[in-house]
Order: sequence, then structure tokens, then C-alpha cells
Amino acid sequence: MPLSGRRSRLALAIVAGSALLFAALWGRHAIVHAQSAAQNQLTVYSPQTSYSVPLLDANGQPYAGLVELLEPLGSVDARADGKKYKLHFTPPGGRPLELQFTEGKNKGKVRGNGYKLPANFVVQNGRGYVPLSVTSALIAKLLATDTELHAAPRRLFIGNVQVRYTLELHKDNPSRLLLGFSSPVNPSIATEPGRVRLTFRREPIVSSVGENVPYSDPLITGVSFSEHDGLAELDVTGTAPMMANFADGGRTIIVTGAPAPAPVAQAAPAPLPPAPANTQNPTPQPRQPATPRFLVLIDPAHGGSDIGAAITPSLPEKDVVLALARRVQHELANRGIAASLLRNSDVAITLDQRATSANAARPALYIALHAANTGQGVHVFTALLPAANLSPQGFLPWDTAQAAYLELSGSVAGSVAAELESRKLPNTRLLAPLRPMNNIAAPAIAVEIAPPAGTVDEIANAAYQDQVAQSIAAGIAAVRAKLPEVRP
Amino acid sequence: MTRRVLVMFAVLAIIALGLAFYALHLKRKVARDEQVAAQQQLALAPPANGPPTSVTLYVASDSDGTLRRTQVNVTLPPERTERDRAVLRALFGQYLQSSSPHPIGAGADVRDVYLLGDDTAIVDANAAFADAHPSGVLAEALTVASIVVTLNANDTKIQRVKILVNGQERETLAGHADLRRFYEASNIGQVVKDLQ
Ligand SMILES: [Zn+2]
Repeated sequence: MPLSGRRSRLALAIVAGSALLFAALWGRHAIVHAQSAAQNQLTVYSPQTSYSVPLLDANGQPYAGLVELLEPLGSVDARADGKKYKLHFTPPGGRPLELQFTEGKNKGKVRGNGYKLPANFVVQNGRGYVPLSVTSALIAKLLATDTELHAAPRRLFIGNVQVRYTLELHKDNPSRLLLGFSSPVNPSIATEPGRVRLTFRREPIVSSVGENVPYSDPLITGVSFSEHDGLAELDVTGTAPMMANFADGGRTIIVTGAPAPAPVAQAAPAPLPPAPANTQNPTPQPRQPATPRFLVLIDPAHGGSDIGAAITPSLPEKDVVLALARRVQHELANRGIAASLLRNSDVAITLDQRATSANAARPALYIALHAANTGQGVHVFTALLPAANLSPQGFLPWDTAQAAYLELSGSVAGSVAAELESRKLPNTRLLAPLRPMNNIAAPAIAVEIAPPAGTVDEIANAAYQDQVAQSIAAGIAAVRAKLPEVRP
Repeated sequence: MTRRVLVMFAVLAIIALGLAFYALHLKRKVARDEQVAAQQQLALAPPANGPPTSVTLYVASDSDGTLRRTQVNVTLPPERTERDRAVLRALFGQYLQSSSPHPIGAGADVRDVYLLGDDTAIVDANAAFADAHPSGVLAEALTVASIVVTLNANDTKIQRVKILVNGQERETLAGHADLRRFYEASNIGQVVKDLQ
């Protein structure tokens, strides 16, 4: 006896419901896999800042997170509601623009008009992702500006930010190659016999003279340009050891023959970690002497598999502090202070590696950023060192490298706390046995933001974070004159 | 019945069976967790012989970053390290209450306290103390400070304290506070705004 149509529909509904339930139970595993696959990243260069956006592999192509892509360019308010995803993007001084997409569909809406993606929209863990190939057109539409995507090397240029270079070979003895840049640059420089490699992580360097320029010269044999993995490289090859020097405030780099090796005394002994350095160490390459400069190094704590505190089940500390770090960098730039981020993407860095990188970068100030649910407002810390354990020789032992800078660190912490106070933000100024503060050979503070007063989600509120970032930047600017510039 | 409907019922039966197993698994897990929790509650009960003694606890408060001095009555065992352990368990007892101004992870306990020489105490906490501790600079610093200050207040010979977790050295308590070092009672007080 055949079942009635109604009963078979009921059975179908039960099957579908059970399948959904299973999907929900297994969903967690799917997300974990997606996260571990998100290795590569896109570097975005905008007139205000450079930043990295982690990429996700989906539907056989790379996808970029919408929030990570847009947040550094304005304020973002995103919401996933079932399969529907809505995002409001407000460019600086502009009005909110709306983007709407649906998970698994390629048709959406941008600024009220239909918008077709080259592949289906992806929502994972409440975050929306668009294909990498569309990021350029999407930002052009939102910011009404020119954009250019170099998809394979993972580089996106917003506005006319590209920095071009010129090459000038002077056949002196030894020969000198002058690399001129349209604005100051600060690449990491690696030298090996017969080769100098300049790696540009944050500068939108593009080639204007062809990828390979050969020279018939006794010393310098050629220059090649390449871009990959979100960075650009200039490789100078030669017949003998060479070195690179900065000139003209970073607008010129001079590559020439290296003098015969002689023992070189370091200005101040930097402390070394107790363990042998990791091969994956993100330490910047030591640079040639240059003019002193004032650099603030911002260390957004945690990253990668170390999520830090779970502010809410879907809001890990590592994301909160990265967003805050970019705001602090922006606010410092507004006050004419250069700042770089120790991590600008979701990567894991060990505590010892953080200290090693920070000390190698020789910043005028190191600032670690944390976020927590404990208490409210902002906690400002300096290092709690072991009682009286200073080495008399001026050599800085790894475990107490911070001791020599503690007074300056205290000035900065006090100044930041005063700025928080003047903005009526609850704040607490304390000492903490926080790693790796004791290993930092520079003035150092740590700032931990907790929710302002209301619900925990407000920790990610743009207005709140902006106020905190402004307090930090203003506090640093107020004591800048006290902090010595450092020779990089 | 048609073949299609038969197949559908077979699929349904398999799904139902799968869900039943999953439910059973969840139920067993809950039962196990409850048992562990009950055992830990039991472990927190003070030993019930001898007259109670007044001990001094420095109880952390997250809202203002302070340690507040509190007196409680605890039955103390005669042996010195057992007494130190009982004092710390009384401190943990304050933190484990639902109204705690400084909550720590459920099930946190002190496994052992032992001495290196006369002035250095090694506190061996259980895994739940670290694994379930709220992650944060302030939260972790206050826990460490309150342990060291409280131990020193009740056993003034103790000048240095190191915290182990499950008998092992750990890099940090819950991602922030350094657990590899020895803390000195003389300067740990600087962690907090006030000792009240
Ligand atoms: Zn943290």
C-alpha cells in the first residue's frame, strides 16, 4: 500500500532535519580544518597603512575575509544571520555603505545595487569571505578610488600608493648602485657573498624598469625585481661581497662593495635568548647604520593556535588585539609617530621569538596589547622584575633586560593612564609578571583592554577601541621627548 | 509500501541509531564530569579535627586590582607544609565561591606544598588550577600575587614561592603570568594597587 503524499513529505522532512542536525554536530570539525588551511595572506597597501589579510581556500580558490579587508580602511559593522550576511562599511568622514551577501550564492548587493561575485560567497565561523579576485573591484566601488590587484603574489594596491624605483650605476671604485625610491622605504636587508637582497613587507614597491636589469660591471652584475607571498624583493647580484646603506632619509639605498671584514663592536650588547634561535624566527635582518629614528613597536599578543582569552565563544583575544593594534598604529601616525606591528596577521609567535624580534627591531618603545574579560576598562602594566638583580657590567642578562629601562617604561605607562583618565575611561596601572616584558631591552609597557562597563561584546566596539587607541597614542606622544631615538 | 519509502525508513533508522549513540556518549561524559567535580569538592573540605585557627587571606579583587586582607577560621594540621597547603586551600575556597570578586577555574586545588630550605615554598597546584584559570594579564597576576602574599602572611619564613602545575613547571599560568620564576614576597606586593 503506497503512503499518501503527505506522509512521504513528512518522512522527507525528518530525513532532512536529521541530516541538518548531523551537519551541525560535525560543523565544528569543518571550521577547524578551514582555520589550519588559512596559511597564506594578502598584503594590502592603502595611503594610510599597510596590512595583511589572512586568506582562506574555498571552492578551489583563495578567499579574503571581508572584515579583515575593510576594517583598516574605515569602520565596519558586520552581522551573519543564518545564511544572510550584512556588513556596513563607513569610510573615514563618509556615510555607511551596505554590503549584502548570502552564503553559497554569488549574487549580492553593494550600495543598493546588484553585485555578482565570480564565485559563491562563503560564511565560516560567522565571518564572511569573498573571492580574492573580486577584492580589488569591491574596494574600488566602496572607496571610489583606483585599485590594482596582483593576485598571484597576493598584493593589493589602493589609490595611487605604488612606490617606484630608479636605478643608477656609478662606475667608481668600487662601483655603486643607487636605488632611488619615490618615498622613504625601510626594507629588511640580507647580505651573502655576491648578493644583497632587499625585502619590502610594508612598502608598495612596484617595478618600473623591467624585472631584470643586467649590468656589465666588474662588481655589480644585475638587479632583479620579484613579488610573491605579499612582499616585494629587489635582488642585487655581484662578483664580490657587497653592502647596502640608506641615504636621503630612506629614499635612496646605495649598494656597493663591502670593505674587508674587520671586527665590529656593537653599540650595546643586546641580550640573547637562552635557547638556540628557531629557524622560523621572524627576526628582521640586522640593518646597516642609519640615522636615529623613533619607532614604536606594537606587539598584538597571541595569534595562530594561541587564541589568548575567549572574550566570547566567537571573539578570541588574538583578533581583538590585532584590530586594536591597527588603530593604535593609525593614531600614532596621526601624531607623526612611526609604528610597526610585530604581527600583522593571524600567526603564532613564541614568547622568546617576540622578545628576540622586538630587540632586533631596536624600537624606542615596545607596547604589548592584550584583551580580557577580567575587571573593566583598561589595565596598564610595566614589568615586575625580580628584586635587585642588576648586572654591574652594563651587559643585559636575558631575564632582566627590562631593568635598565624600567623608569622610562613607568613614565610611558603613567602618561597613558593619565590620557585614559582624561577620557573618563576606567583604568588601573599595575606591575605584572607578564612574559616577555622582562626580556625587552627598550622602554616597554603592556595594555590590556577589558569591556568598558556594559556587555563583553563592547570590547570590540569601534568607538571604544578608538578612544583607547587615542589614549595610548596621546600618552606616548606626551612623553616622546623623554624617550631616546634609536639607531636602527 | 514502495521501494522508495522502504529505503527512506532504513535511512531514518540508521540516523536514529546514530543519534542514540551520540546521546548516550554525551550522557556518560556528563556523568563522568559530575563525578570528577564531586571528588574535587570533597578534596576542598578541610580536615575535621582540632580547633579552628584564624588565618589571614589576601583576596584579590578584579574590579579594582587590589588584594583585600580577610580573616577566616580554618582547622590547621600540625605539620608546617600541610598548614601552608590548608591556608592556600582556604584562599582557593574564597575564589571558588559563586560570588567571588576574583573567580578562578572550577576544580582548582593545591596538591602539595613543599619547602626548599627554610624560606622557599614550592606550591604544586592541580591541572584545573591552570587549565581553567581565566586568561588575562590582570587575572593571572592577581592570582600569583595573592598566593605569595597569603603564604608569607601566615608563614613569615617563606620569602620565595614557585608555582608548579601537576608537578611540572609551566611557562605561564594561562597565557600571561610567568610561572617559570621564583616570586619574592618582598616585591610581589607591587603587583597590586593596594594591600588593604
Ligand atoms: Zn593576552
